[in-house]
Amino acid sequence: MDVGAAVRPARALPAYIESDGAKLTLVALAYFVGAELAFVVGTLSDKIFAPFWPPNIVLLYALVFAPARRWWLYILATFPAHVVAELGIGMGAQQLLVAFATNALLAVIIALAMIRVLGGPPRFDNVRGATTYILVAALISPALVALGGAFVPITGGGAITKYWTFWAQWFLSNALGALTLGSAAFIWLRQKSSPPMTSWRRIEALLLAAALVVVCTVAFELGTGSIAIGFLPALLYSPLPLILWAAVRFGARGASGAVVMVTVVLTWRALNGPSLFVAGDSETNVFALQIFLVALAIPVLLLGTAIEEVRRAERTTREREEQMAFAAASANIGLWQYEHAGNRFWATEHCRAMLSVPPGAPLTWEAIRNCVQPEDRDALIDLVRAARIESPAEHEFRVRDPDGQIRWIAARARTEFDAGATPTRVSGLLTDITRRKQAEHEIDLQRKELAHLMRVGMVGELSGAIAHELNQPLTAILANAQAARRMLAQTSPDAHEIEDALDDIVRDDNRAGEVIRRLRGLLKKDAGRSEPVDLNGLVEAALRLLHGELVGRTVKVELNLQPGLPHAFGDPIQLQQVLLNLVMNSIEAMGATPPAERVVRITTRSTDQDRIEVVVADRGCGLSPDAKARLFMPFFTTKEHGLGLGLSICSTIVRSCGGELGLTGNARGGATATMTLPLPERMRHAHEKRIAAT
Amino acid sequence: MSASNFRVFIVDDDEHVLRALSRLVRAAGYASETFASPRQFLERHDSGDRGCLILDFIMPEIDGLQLQALLSARGISLPIIFLTGRGKVETGVSAMKAGAVDFLTKPVDDTLLLAAIRRAEMQEAAARHHRDEMASIAARLATLTPRETQVLTHVIAGRLNKQIAGDLGTVEKTIKVHRGRMMEKLGVHSVADLVRLTERAGIRPYGLHEPGYQTLPDAIGPRANSTIAAP
Repeated sequence: MDVGAAVRPARALPAYIESDGAKLTLVALAYFVGAELAFVVGTLSDKIFAPFWPPNIVLLYALVFAPARRWWLYILATFPAHVVAELGIGMGAQQLLVAFATNALLAVIIALAMIRVLGGPPRFDNVRGATTYILVAALISPALVALGGAFVPITGGGAITKYWTFWAQWFLSNALGALTLGSAAFIWLRQKSSPPMTSWRRIEALLLAAALVVVCTVAFELGTGSIAIGFLPALLYSPLPLILWAAVRFGARGASGAVVMVTVVLTWRALNGPSLFVAGDSETNVFALQIFLVALAIPVLLLGTAIEEVRRAERTTREREEQMAFAAASANIGLWQYEHAGNRFWATEHCRAMLSVPPGAPLTWEAIRNCVQPEDRDALIDLVRAARIESPAEHEFRVRDPDGQIRWIAARARTEFDAGATPTRVSGLLTDITRRKQAEHEIDLQRKELAHLMRVGMVGELSGAIAHELNQPLTAILANAQAARRMLAQTSPDAHEIEDALDDIVRDDNRAGEVIRRLRGLLKKDAGRSEPVDLNGLVEAALRLLHGELVGRTVKVELNLQPGLPHAFGDPIQLQQVLLNLVMNSIEAMGATPPAERVVRITTRSTDQDRIEVVVADRGCGLSPDAKARLFMPFFTTKEHGLGLGLSICSTIVRSCGGELGLTGNARGGATATMTLPLPERMRHAHEKRIAAT
Repeated sequence: MSASNFRVFIVDDDEHVLRALSRLVRAAGYASETFASPRQFLERHDSGDRGCLILDFIMPEIDGLQLQALLSARGISLPIIFLTGRGKVETGVSAMKAGAVDFLTKPVDDTLLLAAIRRAEMQEAAARHHRDEMASIAARLATLTPRETQVLTHVIAGRLNKQIAGDLGTVEKTIKVHRGRMMEKLGVHSVADLVRLTERAGIRPYGLHEPGYQTLPDAIGPRANSTIAAP
């Protein structure tokens, strides 16, 4: 079955005909009425055969909607109706039986074909269903069955020479029945009207029906007596605009309704006096009428169905778009599209809201550009440019909403190209990532806060060593100053010596200032910049800060710094913190090492993989297997008074610079910490050039 | 101001502090010599050098206390003034127990430092004086003949010439000659002076067996000399 059937279920039959007995009775009754109707028409026109034969449609309708194993019941039920009706017009038993056999056969063949090909009753909301129905029910099956049906008049005394005439009569009356009554039954009884009928459309439909009846009546009333014979085709075509109107405005319902109306009016005219079809004998007139109606019904039905299908497709598309826009809005996503042809923008309401474009305001590049924060406007241009190369391209930018709040928007875009590789359309989506950005920002702040707290803690731990560092220049300053005063008090002061003393005071004061500055830098809160960092310088500065601690604990330092080490990229204060932490860990790890063996070896080097390494190795207690597994976990510590955050924070800092921090045990005891940082892009290129040059 | 060859030795691993202290000491009229590490001091110092030592307490490799112990093991008796950035009571106490002149914290005021140096200088002078005196007594004692030495122990034991002659189996006149020559060699004019001198040299009077005194025959000769010279 097609999608439409699933979305729009067939109309259910009323409950009172749901029971089998009622259904069978109803079908038998309808069969009888249909037959009588045909006879009335036939009698009125003094012809045996009516232009169409309704009982077959009744049986077909019954079979198509019934399960195949019950078909025999329906056939059996209609048989008495058939016998009664046919006996009523005095038909012979043999004729009667052949007629019933062919009628039943026709209904069974069509019902089987429908179920085989379409999987169920025909539907006139898609062209395939309508075409199949027309081919099977109105052309092939009647043509085949008429081969047998033609014998009915012959057994009734007809001349065998008129076999093909009888065949044509049978064929056409069944074909016309299937096209007019049959399609109308399937459409009107089983399909909902689409679009739904409003009162205005009802009025339109009524007016249309009335107009059709009037036009048909008037047109066909004008017989050959009142009009030149050459105008007949024009008269025949006069209902066509109204029929097309019905098909276009009301789809399959309109088309089948109009066809039935024209059929009824034409048949009525043919029965009651002068008709347009007055070629010869009444038999030929009926043929002409039938052929005309068949030829009219097929395209009109197909047109109505096609329009129904197009409308349904449109509706489905619109519903999908609405669903997508709704889903997108629910997921906080805005959809947009830009057509190069015509320079047109389309965007969902949510998208407009995200960009803070007022609803109804024209959407242009200029308008969008103006919503984006000036510093991010290049990102927008980059996005569109990148979308031509990579698909999809992604960028983030900020917009200012009407309340003046800054919102972060992530945009994805892709470009569609035509066959000539010319971009035709850029489409994409916007996501409001303000919350994520805020969360990231907060996490970053917390991380910095924690790192700062750890630095403060570290300074506390180092306070003794730092006091010593400050004490030295202060000692020198005091001694120099007092020496100078004493020299001045002498009878012949040595001006040169006093000048030297004063110079030394200045230099020592600077030295003390340097210690304070380093300390202040370490305690500073607004860390988190990113700038080129000289790691060698950083190592030396760290060792100056730790000098007192190293001397106090009789730890020797071996330095192995690569000259001309490329700069790394990161926050110097935070990287300094990492180095201090690593060296302090080493110092503490060597508490139990004999003083002569207490050595920290610090190495800096650039590796082949465009990275810079700082290695801090000690001869301390090394790593236990337990420690190895949990080194970088927060709150894991091997120290008695440790907080267990040092390495965890160091690792976070190094990772935020795009690097890695590793710690391994040494074969000869002790541990080696390796901090690996990537070379910044620029540095890497210079580095490559240097390698290429050598 | 001070004795010609008294010098102030300064050991500190911080060259700026070293230079500044040296300048201060020189401004106060002392000669000074600086060493960047205890090792350097040990290499360059001669045991005959006179002076005092200003020693930084916390230094790489060998710290102040260790240097003090090393010097003492080598028999070098320089008065030591400790300077420290972090004045811990325990370390100060152990330094003072080991004979330090003073234990000062950095930054140090010149009056305190110079007072300490003066004290060190006096201590050094006293020690030197004592050492010189001992050396001269020992030298004089070394000139005595065994007989004269015997007579000396008897004299400081308060015995009369006659008794001494009886003890030594000789006549009083001979004893009188020995006694006169001994008094002359030692440069004393009265028995009281002689007793003071022998007490300082730790010579035990005849028949006295108190600890701290030496029996005379042992006190004579090169061994006695070195024993006396030791502080």
